[in-house]
This record gives sequence, structure tokens and C-alpha cells, in this order.
Amino acid sequence: MATAPKKLNIIAIVCERSVNFDKKLNEQNQIKECPNVTVIKVPCSGQIQPSMIEAPLKAGADGVITTGCRIGDCYYREGNKFLRERLLGERQPKLRATVDRKRLQAYWLSALEFGQFTQMASSFSAYLETYESATTG
Amino acid sequence: MLRDVVSDAYRNVIEALRTVTLWLEKGLNLVFTQKYNPLYYHGALPNFFLWVLYLSGLLLFAYYVPTLEGAYNSVNYITSRIPSGALFRATHRYAADAMMIFVLVHFFRVLFTDRYREYRILPWITGVLLITVMFIAGLTGYMLIWDADSVALTFRTMELLNAIPVIGPSVTALLIGGQQITDYTLTRYMFLHFAIPSSMLFFLWWHYLRITRPVTNAPLALNLLMFGGLLMFCGIFPVAIGQAPPVNLSDMAFIPQAIKDVDWLYMFPQGFLVTGKTIGFAWLVTLGIPLGMLLLPYVQSKQFVGQFAQVVSDNCTGCSLCYHDCPYEAIEMHDRDDNTKFKRIAVVDVGRCANCGLCVGACAFKAIEIPRSQTPNVFAEIEAAMARAEAAPV
Repeated sequence: MATAPKKLNIIAIVCERSVNFDKKLNEQNQIKECPNVTVIKVPCSGQIQPSMIEAPLKAGADGVITTGCRIGDCYYREGNKFLRERLLGERQPKLRATVDRKRLQAYWLSALEFGQFTQMASSFSAYLETYESATTG
Repeated sequence: MLRDVVSDAYRNVIEALRTVTLWLEKGLNLVFTQKYNPLYYHGALPNFFLWVLYLSGLLLFAYYVPTLEGAYNSVNYITSRIPSGALFRATHRYAADAMMIFVLVHFFRVLFTDRYREYRILPWITGVLLITVMFIAGLTGYMLIWDADSVALTFRTMELLNAIPVIGPSVTALLIGGQQITDYTLTRYMFLHFAIPSSMLFFLWWHYLRITRPVTNAPLALNLLMFGGLLMFCGIFPVAIGQAPPVNLSDMAFIPQAIKDVDWLYMFPQGFLVTGKTIGFAWLVTLGIPLGMLLLPYVQSKQFVGQFAQVVSDNCTGCSLCYHDCPYEAIEMHDRDDNTKFKRIAVVDVGRCANCGLCVGACAFKAIEIPRSQTPNVFAEIEAAMARAEAAPV
């Protein structure tokens, strides 16, 4: 039985010094250009705990995006590097093995690269759509 | 308030410069890729040139003769007789310029990206010290060559030092090793040129003191690229030696007045005198630059007053993950004896804390929080976003 395509819901936990979302969000913190992405800002990507990535996926989000500054250019020296290592399972606390890696993407972008972010986020969203239909059959 | 107006205007300028820096880095990322972008190793590259200087300097030191008669001839000997001697001299000289250039890149990037004040004040102050020390090191290097330019440079420097009120003549005597220029002068220069660069290792240690994992080395590929560039530069612009120094140094009629080859990175005060500026102007710029650098961190008002990471002692297990991850050595592990089963607890050093939240990301027990972005709030935001998505029409 054909059902209407489900509206994807992606949570982006972003470093406030990375991709600049000023004036790009609606009142619900969704990106105007791709409203299925909700943005949650933290001071540095190094603050993102692996459990912050698990939580939305457990609650039924279709995907999670994290952003940090370009590797090599963390305002607080090592935040993006540490998050990257946690996601890759190289640093404690690690992202749990049970988390579906296909639903998670991490971008390392500077404050100038909003365009790149939306591009990558929409192709991630398109990927998730095919992934959903493949897994739910 | 005037303070706020100045602070805001200054912040806007720095913000604009940050955007310029980011554009520059974006461009360089296209050429070098993120992994080898020289602007991501702005602090490590001067270190590389410092080691090039130490090593090339060793060979020059082995053949240098610190006497009035011998100095110029020994430099000549190194240049023309020692195999690759000219190359070593050129390497030593241009590496000094390259180091100053990358130190300035380091300086401006740190300034433009707002990474120089509050909890970063110690690296900033020691950085200004390092630049000053490096400046004197370079200056004494140019004096050692003892060609006509070095003599002119020495006399210009004496003019500047003599102008200092009260202690001026004594400082001059300290520099040249007595009342007149003798063999002791060159011994003094050589001592200074040895002692001052060596002291940089101490200042570098101080520079890194509050940084847990300073980036002291750039990737090998980048170092090799820099070294190759340096060698190419040495080949294209070989270092010549200037005219012989005057034999009679006591008769001012023979003393060269002009410095033919002014290196503006290292001898701008003397360069000002040569180009007709007054001694007062030269001192104003020479003292004004480091003083201005030291004052810059206080122009903008503080970002987080009285805020720092808070340990939730009920949750802390003493695992020390935050202690290892803190980039600023701001967390210490202390013994605890409050009848819990845990033996240790994290304690935050308030003065060093950057409020960055890297400790929060390192904690698996919700035992450390920064006031401006607390974990429960982040989870609440996630929940709210999920609830909105559920409620939204498909």
C-alpha cells in the first residue's frame, strides 16, 4: 500500500562559530531553505556529548547532523577534533556502536560556508529518504 | 558609556577582519587542503624556522672570529671558501626573515580571530616578549657580519641608546663592551646573539604553559615545502657581503652613515634614523609597538564575567576524562573524602577556564556544566524539536 512520503526530520547540533545561521532560521529554529532541518546551537562542537546524538535518533529523528569548524581551526583549540574522534570511536566517551551511522553526518565548515551546508544537508536528506524506504521495505 | 562604544567599535573591526581571515583560509584550503593549510600551523611554522636557524647558526659559529680584524674576513671566508658556506649564510639570514614573517602571520591571525585575551592573556604577553627577544636576536646577527653596514648599524644603535635619559651611556657601554668599539664589542655581540636566541626556548615554554597540547610542529610535508621555498629563495637571492669596515673607527669621518641594505623587519629604528627621522620618532615607534600589543587585550570588554565550568559533585566519578581533554589545563583532579564511593573529583581552576564546554563533551556522567549552555537545556531543545516535528502536518 502506497503511503504519502513521510516528512523527514533532521536535527542539526551546530557549533555557533562554525556555519553561520544568522537570519537563516524561522521561529522554530528550522532552516528556511530546508525546513526539515532543526538547528540547535552549542558554543563549541567539542561540547556535543555522544548522548546528544543518540537522543534525537531514539526519539525518532531521521537523521542527525553535527557541524564544527574546519579541522585545524577550532576557536577552543581541539573541540572539533575531539568530536570527530568520538564519532569515529577513538576517544572516550565514544558514540555507542548501536547508533545507526547512516543516519549521522558530521560537517567541518567555516562560518562562510552556509551554502555548502545546505547542499550537503539536502543531499543527506535525499539519501535518508531512499534509506528509509529501503529499510522499511 | 565611552567604554562600551569603544569596545563595540573595536569588536566590529575585529569581526570584519575575522571574515577576511576566513576567506583567506578558504582560498588556501583549495590549494593546500585542510590538512596542510599553513594558516592552521601559523604557530608551528616559526618553530620550524627557529630550528633551521639554530642548526645553520652552529656552522657559522664554528668559523666566525669575533675580533675587529677577523670578523669581516671570517664571514668572507665562510661565504667564499667553505663548501655551501654561502648557502648556510643565506639560509640563516632568510630563515630569520621567514620566522619573523610567520610570527607576524601568527600574531595577526590570533588577533583577528579573537584568540588573544582573557584566559589567553599569558600566551599573548609571552608572545610579545618573544617577538621583542627575536627582534634583538636578529639585530645582533646583522651586527656580527661587521661589514660597513654593520658598523653603521652599530653607530645608529649607539645613537639611539645614548638618547635614553640618565642610563643611556651605561646601556651603550653594556652593548659595545666599554667606552669604545674594540674586540670586546664583537665578543659581546656574539654572546648576545647566542644567549638571546637560546632564551627563546625558555620563553616558548612559558608561551605554552597554559596550553595542554600546543601545536609545536607542522606536518613534515609542510615543513619540507617551507624549507624548499627557503632554499630556492637562497639560490635566487644569494647573500653577498658588504664593503669592508673602516679600519679607523675613532675618526667619525670614516664611519659610514648610511645602511645600504636595511632589513625593515629587524632594524626599523635604525632605518628611521638613516631615512632622516628623529631619534624621538624612532623610539616612539620602537616602544609604541610592543606597548600597543600589550594593551590590545584590554580594549574590548570581557565576554563572560564570573562564568566558568561547574562540577556537579554528586555526579562526578573522578574518571578524569575532562581533566585530560581540557585544552587550557583548567581542570585538576583532587582527592575527595565526602563519603562517596569515588576517590577523586574534578576541580576547575577559575582563572584558566575558557567556558568552552569541551569538558562537557568529555563527560559521560553529566557531571560538569558551563553556565551559558547547560546539558539539560540542550536535551530539552532536542525534545522540543522532536515534539514539534510530531505535531507538524505531514
